[in-house]
Amino acid sequence: MPHYTELNIGPVHPSIHGIFNFKLILNEEIIQDVKVTLGFLHRNAEKLSELNLYADNIIFFDRMNYIDAMNMELGYLMSVEKLTGIEPPERAQWIRMIMVELNRLAARLVGMGSLGLDLGMLTPFFHTFKEREKIQRIFTEASGGRQEVNYFSVGGVYQDLTEQMINDIKNFLPQFKKNLEDMYNMFIHSEIFWQRNRGIGIIEPEMALDYGVTGPALRASGIPYDVRKDAPYLFYDRVNFDIPISHEKDNFGRFMVKVEEMRQSIRIIEQCLDKITDGPFFNPQGKKSLMLRIKGNGEAFSRVESDAGEFAVYVNGNNTTKPNRVHARSPGLRNLSLLPVISKGLMIADFIAVVGGLDPVVGEVDR
Amino acid sequence: MYKIISDDKDKGGMRMITLDKTDLIEAMTDFKNKGYYLTCLNGVDMKDHLDVIYFIHNFDTNDYISVKVSTNDEHMPSLTKLFRVADWDEREQYDLMGIVFDGHDDLRRLFLPDEWVGHPLRKDYDLKKVQYVNMDSEGNEHVSFDEKEGS
Repeated sequence: MPHYTELNIGPVHPSIHGIFNFKLILNEEIIQDVKVTLGFLHRNAEKLSELNLYADNIIFFDRMNYIDAMNMELGYLMSVEKLTGIEPPERAQWIRMIMVELNRLAARLVGMGSLGLDLGMLTPFFHTFKEREKIQRIFTEASGGRQEVNYFSVGGVYQDLTEQMINDIKNFLPQFKKNLEDMYNMFIHSEIFWQRNRGIGIIEPEMALDYGVTGPALRASGIPYDVRKDAPYLFYDRVNFDIPISHEKDNFGRFMVKVEEMRQSIRIIEQCLDKITDGPFFNPQGKKSLMLRIKGNGEAFSRVESDAGEFAVYVNGNNTTKPNRVHARSPGLRNLSLLPVISKGLMIADFIAVVGGLDPVVGEVDR
Repeated sequence: MYKIISDDKDKGGMRMITLDKTDLIEAMTDFKNKGYYLTCLNGVDMKDHLDVIYFIHNFDTNDYISVKVSTNDEHMPSLTKLFRVADWDEREQYDLMGIVFDGHDDLRRLFLPDEWVGHPLRKDYDLKKVQYVNMDSEGNEHVSFDEKEGS
């Protein structure tokens, strides 16, 4: 007769990313089942978006994946721009691309640092957050906001990148490249990190597709799917970068894919800085005095590659200044739905590592 | 054989097909056999009826299609037997939009507490009636319209 114990983790617990609740059903220390309770951070941004103007809704998307705010804004704005026909000019697209990739670096740094923190490695956390702070200083310079930036606007960006800011980014990249390798070595030369991450949380490719998993978790299962390559938006078809994949399928593979993608992001930013053109940074149709009168009609759907995976926004307009329906496809929700399956048969300590490796951000899971 | 009612493009140039509710399972089985996966689904309240939009994606041919199905009685056939991703997605739409997916094994609310009254994304949801959530010592959530009970 097996003896089962129920262990409650969360809603507030130092080793989970945000507030959600897990109930682990344990046979001694082996996990038999996981029950996930969501909704502690649910603000119903989709309903709020229906009650506000097109241009005002950007802030709700900022607060979805709050560590990857630029990508969230971009997903929403791409849909709105398709709906309203307000195309951003070329310089705005380049600026957006630089900012999105910088934000991807910042989000990955949080993910790396907190994975280390979950496993009891305190040192890398301070290094990653120090680097992230430098990126956020660039954001503050550009938008006035550190984390919830509210930088993009319908048809462009809020303010132009000055020569000074471009120089800041140019100075930031070379030292970041070196520091990234240092941080990477900090993880990779730790025997404990290897032992804690290898062979746990295995996601088979078929299973990943069936559960709708995207992003680094899918690429670590050996499927080279990246929205930036498969359906290029902005100017991703004009820059060179590679899609790293791993056949490890486990937590360690996901970590390696994430780090390699950071190197690719640096490559993209460097090319953007070379190719950025002069010109207007917003479309006059989306200027501030006209922003309140933007009307949309029809349906639009667009997807971007965010930190966690494919983030997609559906906007439905009925020719008024407020959208009729906004829906955001959350990649974190899909990654999390796989958790009860992949954590069956693991130890409790490994479970914490798996959650850290999947790196769900609750703001985006609950919306 | 299922019948495609309309076949056009949305503002971004994505293919958008409309199906009848009775054809949904057959059509989705056919799409699944062709290598399509469900990526997400969402409901739209059109006031006189509900639309459910399924987004399917073929990773090999890089083809993204949206499939729209209308319903008058807030019931839809569940796709959980075909795609596992439909499990939580249908729970989310049941929770927020109030669409009942017939054939779903575990159709509970995903985000809101079980006792919550109404479905917030509906156009007729009354936003002025505030609901207060309270948790007892067992960890069960209780919902009340009375401020004193909920604090």
